[in-house]
Amino acid sequence: MKTAKYFSWPLMKQTIRSNRVLTVAIMIVMILMCVVISIARNMMMSGTTDSTTSTTFMTYLYVIASSGLKYDYEGLMAGTYDTAYSTVFALLGDGYSLEQFKEAASALMDAGTYETYLSTFEYNWALMNETGIFTGEALDINEFMGLMMESMGMSSDLLENMEDIDMSSMLNQMYYTIMDILPLLVYIVVVGNSLIASQVDRGSMAYVLSTPTKRSAVVITQAIYMIVVPFLMIAITCCVKIAMSAGLSGDPDAAVTIMLYFGMYILIEAMAGLCYLGSCLFNRSGKSMAFGGGLTVWFFLASLLGMFGSDNLVQMGMGVEILGVFNNLTLIGLFDIDSIATIGTDAVSYAFVWKLVVLFVIAVAAYVGGAIRFTKKDLPL
Amino acid sequence: MSIIKIENLTKDYGNGRGIFDINLEVKQGEIFGYVGTNGSGKTTTIRNMLGFVYPDSGKIEIDGTDPVTHSAELMNKVSYIPGEIAFPNLKSGADFLKLQAEYYGITDFTRMNYIADKLGLDTTADLKRMSKGMKQKTAIVAAFMSERDIMILDEPTTGLDPLMRDVFIELINEEKKKGRTVFLSGHIFEELEEVCDRVAMLKDGKIIDVIDMYALRHYSDRIFEIVFENEKSANAFKNTFDGAYVRGNSAFTSIPAERADQLFKALSGFNVIQIHEKHTTLEEVFMKDYNI
Repeated sequence: MKTAKYFSWPLMKQTIRSNRVLTVAIMIVMILMCVVISIARNMMMSGTTDSTTSTTFMTYLYVIASSGLKYDYEGLMAGTYDTAYSTVFALLGDGYSLEQFKEAASALMDAGTYETYLSTFEYNWALMNETGIFTGEALDINEFMGLMMESMGMSSDLLENMEDIDMSSMLNQMYYTIMDILPLLVYIVVVGNSLIASQVDRGSMAYVLSTPTKRSAVVITQAIYMIVVPFLMIAITCCVKIAMSAGLSGDPDAAVTIMLYFGMYILIEAMAGLCYLGSCLFNRSGKSMAFGGGLTVWFFLASLLGMFGSDNLVQMGMGVEILGVFNNLTLIGLFDIDSIATIGTDAVSYAFVWKLVVLFVIAVAAYVGGAIRFTKKDLPL
Repeated sequence: MSIIKIENLTKDYGNGRGIFDINLEVKQGEIFGYVGTNGSGKTTTIRNMLGFVYPDSGKIEIDGTDPVTHSAELMNKVSYIPGEIAFPNLKSGADFLKLQAEYYGITDFTRMNYIADKLGLDTTADLKRMSKGMKQKTAIVAAFMSERDIMILDEPTTGLDPLMRDVFIELINEEKKKGRTVFLSGHIFEELEEVCDRVAMLKDGKIIDVIDMYALRHYSDRIFEIVFENEKSANAFKNTFDGAYVRGNSAFTSIPAERADQLFKALSGFNVIQIHEKHTTLEEVFMKDYNI
C-alpha cells in the first residue's frame, strides 16, 4: 500500500480549505492598500512642479518687473502684452521667447501653484529693494523665513532640511515596511500556528497521522504551503501595483517594484519560518502563538520605532536619531528599501543583497529546524 | 499467534504519571479490552502503540512492525479512533470523511456509507456544530471504513447512547467474524464484558490483572438465586438441598455446572416464582483488583 513520505495531497487540500477564508480576506486588504497608496502617491507627485518651470517663470517676471512693464495672467494669455514683452525678451538674446514664458505660466496654473510663485516673486522683489533700517544690509527672503520659523519656536534648519526630504522614499518605507507587511504578518502568525501546533493541541492531527502519512510528509507539505501561498499573495499584489503605476503615471518602474516585492517576500519568509518553527516546537497552541506572534509583533514595533530614527523623519523634526538603533533589532531592518530603490539609477547600491541573504538563511534554518524537531518529538494525539 | 506484542514498555512522565513495565500480548483475531481509571495510562499505551509517542524503554511490535521506526507503514495495517475527538477545520462530516478516504487511498465509499447508515449518522451536518455522540459516530466511521486488520480504539463508545452502543458492539462482532484484531480501551464494563475475549486492567500505569472473559463467563461453580412465594418454602427448600442458604424469600446455592440438573429435580415439588443465575461481573473483578 502507498505511504506518503514527503508530500500529501489530501493534507495540502485540507490546509488550503481550512485557511481559504483568511487568505482571501488578507489578499483583499493587501490589494486595497496597494491601490490606495498608488493613488495617494500619484497625487503627491503631481502636486509638485518641476523646479525648472518655476525658475523660468520667475526669471521672466524679473525681466518684466525690472523693465517696468505691467503683468497679469489673463492679459498674458489674451495677448495684450505680446508686443511689449517680445521687444524686451528679444534684448535678452537667444533662448528666451514669449512662448516659453506662456508655457511656464500655464504649466504652473495647471499644477495649481501659479499663485504661490507669483506671490513669492512679489515678496522677493519687494524685499530686494529694501535694506534694514538699522543694519543697512539688504533684506533677504530666506533669512526672513528662517526668522519667522524661529519666532514660532521651530528650528531654522528645518527649512533647509525639508528641501532634502525624499517624500517618495518615505512613502516607500511606510508602504513596504508597514502597510503592506502588517496584513501578511497577521496571516503568517495565524496560519503558522494552525499548520501544526493548533492541530496537535486540538488533537485533529491524529486523523492525519493515523493514515499512511509520515510525519516528514506532514512537515514538508505544511512548509510548502507556508512558502508558496505568501509568494502568490505578494506576486498578485506586485502585479496590481505595477498595473496601477502604469495606469496612473505611465511609468510602471517594474524592475524596482519587482525587486521591492521580492525583498518583502524574503523578509516575510524569514518571519514565517520563525512562526513555523514555533508551531513545530510546541504542542500547545498558546505557546506557539506566543513564540511566533511575540517575535513578529516585536519585529514590527521595533521597525516602527526604528523609522522614527530614520534620516527622513529626523530631518522633518519628527524623529530622534537614537531610535535608529531599533532598526538593528528587527528583521524588517534587513529589508533595505532605499538600497533597492537605487536599481536603475546611476549609483546602484548593492547593500540590500547581503541583507536578503541573511534573511534567506534565517528562513531556511527555521524551516529545517522546525521540520526536524517535529519528526522526532512526542505528540499527544 | 500474537499480533500485538508489548515488552517492558515504560514511558515516565514524572510524578508517578506514565506507564511502567507494561507487558502484553494480543492474539490475532482477539478482542482485547484495556480498562483502568482516568489517568491510569490507557491513552499513553495507545499513543506508544501508534508511534505518536516514543517509549523510554521497552519494545512494541504490531504485526511485525515497530511503531517507533515505521509508524506510517504501520498505519497500513491499523485503524485508530483517538480518545479525544477533534476534527480538522472542515465544513461537513462528509467533507471530513471524504478527505480521510483520500488519505487512506479509498475511492469506493460503499463501506463508509454502510457504517454511517448503520450508526444513523447524518454526514451532511456541520462538523463544528455536531453533538458529542455525532462526533464519535463520525470518528467510528472514519476508523471502520479503512478496513484494517488491526483496530486500536481509545474509548470508542464515549458519548454514544445505549442504542448506538449496541450497534457498535454489533460492528465489533462483525469485525471479529472477519478475523480482525481489536484493541479497545474503556471504562464501561458492561460493553467490554459483552465483546472482549480478554481484558487487561491497568492501575497507576501498571497492569495488575489480565482476565480471561471466557473463564469469567464459564465459571465452574454457578450461583443460582431462587425466589419462592414466602420464607417458609425457601427454608423448606434449604433443608432438602445441600449448601443452600436463605435471605428473605430467596434461597441461594452455589453448585458446579454438572449438578444443575440435581437442582431442578430438587425444585420440582416447589412453587418457584423466579430463578436466575448470578454472574460474576467484570466490574466485581475490577473492584476486587482495585481494592475498592
